[in-house]
Amino acid sequence: MSATRLVATGLTLLWLAGCDTERDDAAPGEPAGFAGLGEEAGDFAQAHEGITLRFPEDHAAHPDYRIEWWYLTANLEDDSGEPLGLQWTLFRQAITSPEERPAPTPWAADQLWMAHMAVSRGETHRVAERFARSHSADELDDRDGQAGARAQPFRAWIDHWQLASHIETSDETTGEATEADTFAELELTAHQDDEHGGFGYALTLTAEGPLVLHGLEGFSQKSADGQGSMSSGSMYYSQPFWRVEGEVALDGESRTVSGRGWLDREWSSQLLGAEQRGWDWFSLHLESGHKLMAFQLRGGGADGGDYRSGTWIAPDGEPTALAPDEIDMTPLETRRVAGRDVPTHWRLAIPRAGLDLSIEAPHAERWMDTSVPYWEGEVVARDADSGENRGVGYLEMTGY
Amino acid sequence: MLEFRQVHKSYATPQGPLQVLDGIDLRLDAGESLALMGESGSGKSTLLHLAAGLDLPDTGEVTVAGQAVSSLDEPARARLRRDTLGLVFQQFHLVPSLNVGDNLRLQARLARRDDVEWAAHLIERLGLAGMEKRYPEQLSGGQQQRLAIGRALAPRPALLLADEPTGNLDETSADEVLGLLLSLVSEVGSALLLVTHSHQVAAPLDRCLRLTHGRLDPVDEREASRR
Amino acid sequence: MFTTLITLLSHYKRHPGQLAMLLLGLWVASALWSGVQAINASARDSYARAEALFTTGLDRLERRDGQPLTRDDYLRLRRAGLPVSPLLEGTLEAPDGTRLTVIGIEPFTLPGDNAFATAGSTSELAAFLTPPWQTRVAPDTLPALGIADRQAPGDEPRLTDERRLPPLVLAPSLPPDTLVMDIAAASMLLDSGETLSRLVTASNALDEAPPGLVLTRATTLASPGQLTESFHLNLTAMALLALVVGLFIVQAALGLALEQRLTMLRTLRALGVSGRRLVGLLALELLLLGIIGALAGIVSGVWLARLLLPDVAATLGSLYGAGVTAELSLPWHYWVGGVAVTLGGLFLAGAGVLWRAARLSVLGLGQAQAWRAGFRRQLTYMTLAGALVASIGLALWAWLAGQPPGEGLLAGFGLMAALLLASALWLPPLLAALLAGLERLVRRRPLAQWALADLQLQLPRLSLAMMALLIALSANLGVSSMVGGFRLTFLDWLEQRLVADLYLRPPAEQFEEIETWLGERREVAERLPTRRTEATLYEVERNGSTRGLALPTNLYGITPGDALMPSWPLLDTLAGRDAAWQAFRDGEAFINEQLAIGEGLAPGDRLTLGAPQGREQVTVVAVYPDYGNTQGEVLFATAQLASRFGAPPGSIGIVLAPGADEAALGQALTRRFGLGSDSLVDQREVKRIATGIFERTFTITRALSALTLGVAALALLASLLAQARERRRQLAPLWALGVPRSQLVRIQLSQLGAAALVTGALAIPLGIVLALGLVAVINVAAFGWRLPLFLFPGEIALTLATAVAVALLATALPAITLWRTPPRALLAEEANT
Repeated sequence: MSATRLVATGLTLLWLAGCDTERDDAAPGEPAGFAGLGEEAGDFAQAHEGITLRFPEDHAAHPDYRIEWWYLTANLEDDSGEPLGLQWTLFRQAITSPEERPAPTPWAADQLWMAHMAVSRGETHRVAERFARSHSADELDDRDGQAGARAQPFRAWIDHWQLASHIETSDETTGEATEADTFAELELTAHQDDEHGGFGYALTLTAEGPLVLHGLEGFSQKSADGQGSMSSGSMYYSQPFWRVEGEVALDGESRTVSGRGWLDREWSSQLLGAEQRGWDWFSLHLESGHKLMAFQLRGGGADGGDYRSGTWIAPDGEPTALAPDEIDMTPLETRRVAGRDVPTHWRLAIPRAGLDLSIEAPHAERWMDTSVPYWEGEVVARDADSGENRGVGYLEMTGY
Repeated sequence: MLEFRQVHKSYATPQGPLQVLDGIDLRLDAGESLALMGESGSGKSTLLHLAAGLDLPDTGEVTVAGQAVSSLDEPARARLRRDTLGLVFQQFHLVPSLNVGDNLRLQARLARRDDVEWAAHLIERLGLAGMEKRYPEQLSGGQQQRLAIGRALAPRPALLLADEPTGNLDETSADEVLGLLLSLVSEVGSALLLVTHSHQVAAPLDRCLRLTHGRLDPVDEREASRR
Repeated sequence: MFTTLITLLSHYKRHPGQLAMLLLGLWVASALWSGVQAINASARDSYARAEALFTTGLDRLERRDGQPLTRDDYLRLRRAGLPVSPLLEGTLEAPDGTRLTVIGIEPFTLPGDNAFATAGSTSELAAFLTPPWQTRVAPDTLPALGIADRQAPGDEPRLTDERRLPPLVLAPSLPPDTLVMDIAAASMLLDSGETLSRLVTASNALDEAPPGLVLTRATTLASPGQLTESFHLNLTAMALLALVVGLFIVQAALGLALEQRLTMLRTLRALGVSGRRLVGLLALELLLLGIIGALAGIVSGVWLARLLLPDVAATLGSLYGAGVTAELSLPWHYWVGGVAVTLGGLFLAGAGVLWRAARLSVLGLGQAQAWRAGFRRQLTYMTLAGALVASIGLALWAWLAGQPPGEGLLAGFGLMAALLLASALWLPPLLAALLAGLERLVRRRPLAQWALADLQLQLPRLSLAMMALLIALSANLGVSSMVGGFRLTFLDWLEQRLVADLYLRPPAEQFEEIETWLGERREVAERLPTRRTEATLYEVERNGSTRGLALPTNLYGITPGDALMPSWPLLDTLAGRDAAWQAFRDGEAFINEQLAIGEGLAPGDRLTLGAPQGREQVTVVAVYPDYGNTQGEVLFATAQLASRFGAPPGSIGIVLAPGADEAALGQALTRRFGLGSDSLVDQREVKRIATGIFERTFTITRALSALTLGVAALALLASLLAQARERRRQLAPLWALGVPRSQLVRIQLSQLGAAALVTGALAIPLGIVLALGLVAVINVAAFGWRLPLFLFPGEIALTLATAVAVALLATALPAITLWRTPPRALLAEEANT
């Protein structure tokens, strides 16, 4: 996952809901965790161990949960071999619990949406942000709001930014629904005008492997309080095997690109422990064909330490959940970014997988200066001893 | 010319009514001159104002040139002053907006008795020749009082009322002005009622009365003989 | 030092009249000035709030066919990537009958950071967006809702229809009578369903309107602050006039108080008070008086502003559509400014006094004799100063003549001020010369001679009051001539423009149907449909040379039929009326006077306008007057405007056949098409509303000029009262010499009456010139149109009568005092002084 996403969304929540601690219904005297993400789930549905994920239904929005996201990152190269990174994220946030939803009158909303897009190349880093509202009844009425996420055919969108399948779900001749997996091939289109000439992308994403469920069959625990399913956690799966091809525009210049992408899907109503204050999240495409997801939540671990978790993914998609003590994560070097000290050079060791990596962001200027600011950028993984190139990926850091 | 018969006059004061004149009988014939003496505040000026029709008695009768002042309305009393009387005040009371020549002839003109030659003669006699175009404030005190006397005599009034005409002047000027006044009065043939507290001023006049406690008495013989 | 100050001030104990006059002058000057400034400050506050609101500064999109936009239109445009935001706007009636504007916004898409910067903090967004939602409202709207400030937050006031508003949240930066809420809450309150009032987008975010929509740029929607600037300048000018007139009183009172204290000042100097300290103490005295006067003035000014503000607000609302709260809202700098202006004025007026006190000779020799020469010197200075001011005025006039028409509003006011001041400065020398001349003529008439001589003597004291009277009279005459002329012109113009008997504003979707229906009715003689749109004026071709522009311009379509053509007023045509109308029918254009003046256009010029199918070229064949409009406009035949510029249908004027039953037609229309009562207006109603608006526009101006005249009368009265005692001393010898009191009173009245008559006579040409300046310079710069100059003999006679009446009224009080003074008291005064 993405602690990172957590942070970002948490901050969004803070921004949207204001200071939750000021609200009457906030648990008295109890800190609500980072950015309110530690708030108790209340009337919302709860992520817990034992929930069976169902596809394609779970690709769509889960409005009964407080927060959710569709989080895509990609490590690309243009024709000349120059690396290029991109991020596209759609966040969903329920502003009322399912019981308190307003009647679906025109414009009434119970869901807020926020999307971030970023393109980075060399020192250049362009970021855009959008917001929208919707009512969860829109889906039942089969009408599209300004933003939303549908399962069949898969489509997640806000305004003209969208990640959508272009696989037909009905037979053109008979009109009957087909069983095609529309999630296997997606189109990502987004564009933003800015003073530099605009940036955006039109990309085709082709899945070259299966979906990967993290944690316990998709339930990802987020703290070590031992309370099992009632503690903070989320439903979390990924598609780390995207082959990405298409066009990326940056500062008015268009480039043909190709590379690998990683999509995270996560939803929850109580993501964090009350003590957790920020996190560092890695997603790596290794040269060996393996994928690695690892994160640490700073605070909230055993004895107040950091809580770590991850998934070691074989080239065929077989996941191995990593226990907290199986991950060794050490910041080696910080850089001054946007007025903060951000660790952009890490050592990440997974002894069980025989990995000892030095992970570094070639460009530190990847600050997301959005309404909820965080750091998100491409990284290169090298062998810690030999310095040999081992792969590429994305790093997200929040709470700095 | 001027007659007071049993004239009473009192004023309201914060301490109660103040009896100023208490049964005055007085008679002044044409061409006669009378000095009226008395302490400060004895009612000399009040008597003069009654004589001029500037004020009316409470009881009794003031007759000027055969007309009972009390029976006249204000405009008629004003006409009486204009046509019959000449007034000279201690404070001169020249009209500041008019020059010497116009000031001198003001009352004569008002009375329609402006006599150019007589006015020129008066200017000459008053020692104001060549100053006709000046304004009152450009004259000395003595000159201003002479001008005031000239203004009063220009219409040749039958009766001249003068209230301390030399009171504001130094001794030399006072003598000079008084001499001039008497000389001109006799030239015109006016009767003269002159209010003063100075024996020296009163002496040349035909008669002299003293106002005490609102009543008139002849001036003490010894006092008179001391002169 | 304290003793000295007390000694100085003891003068006012003996002469309370002078103190009263001094404070009166300060009070009225400061009251009028601060009253108007309070109005201006409140209005500016309202504008700032309105401008901070999202309705201004944003471009807007509406459907070309006039139908309302819907939520689907919005979503379609968003999904096409256009940065539009939906806006709902409607009115609700508060329990007290106030019309409240409800604005529903969508905070996520509303451009810029204005939404919550002005409407509240971001932390309350969730509450804003979700039930029960929030109503953001400025505190000054609360009285309309019947709520006290304290209980307001969270209250859910009822409306007339028993529905409740979402809980209130105070947002002082919002304009008055405006409720801002989430669009979901607004759509429920307004029952607007899926429809929208309009879409808005950041200024210039779109290059062109999406198909089927009309894009109105924020720049075409001039901000209320800009529009009303001239109106406020006008108010300020009037207030300044009142301030100056009030300061005349102050100066007169100070001069008198100094003159009468010369002896005291000399005595103090002789007793060892240094000259510098004396001047300092006099300045301290001024400061004390100034603070008292300023505070009293500001309090009354605020009261006056409260009295006038509803009218001002109504005027600004109807004339410019600018919402101004009827509640005063005064920033701190208003209070400080008010005191500062009063004190500044006081020290300006007192500078002469301080200067004289500083140069005071201890011995005072020759002082008494010097006043006559001093006054002559003063007259010379006044003549010279008048000449200087007049030449400044001439220079301004010359500069203005070289400016393009419609420019230089401030310079125009400067010119008017110079004219007034020069005339005022020349008045005393003129009066003095006149009196001296007349005096020579009446040698033989002693009383007349004395009266003239005496008036000359009074002139130094009276001149300031007379100057004030001259200024007030001519301003009054100028303003009333302008207003009267305007009313004549405007009513005439209204008569010419409103040729239809009924005006119908049908819903866009029924337009065609209704028009057809009307065409078949026998009682309808002629239909005059209108349309409105706007376009960019790209080029102007004049005498073969082309000038590039990018001016957003309003286009208006009228139907050139039998009813309209003969009466529609034209100021200037290319080749006569008939030819102009012929060309107009054939597709050429008329322009309004505002556009002609603003862009220096004349018949024969060619315009290039942006149109949906590319650019359209038209020839200007006539210029028409367009009073009440503040912007330029190009006029086309309605059919032309529809086909060439895609203008949506507007209203239809209905000319009835002779003897047709207007009421029956109205009922038939309403029944047949289910029209609301407000979509059909009869001509008389339109005229009534229009006339009402313009009457109100000048209510304030006239009220202020009348108040100024009142101040001038007070100045005269105060001057006369202040010297009443001295006057009696001057009159006493005459009375003693045999001039009856009644005659003295008559003389006094005629003296002042004559002086005022002369002043009034001078005020007439001055007022006419002023009126000319107002209609030909100020109005053109402020509103864009020129008025013919009308002179009203009645107004002129009224001015003269006012002058004499003011003088007689002011003389009456001292005269009555003289009349009633017992002779003994007169003599007693004589003896005492």
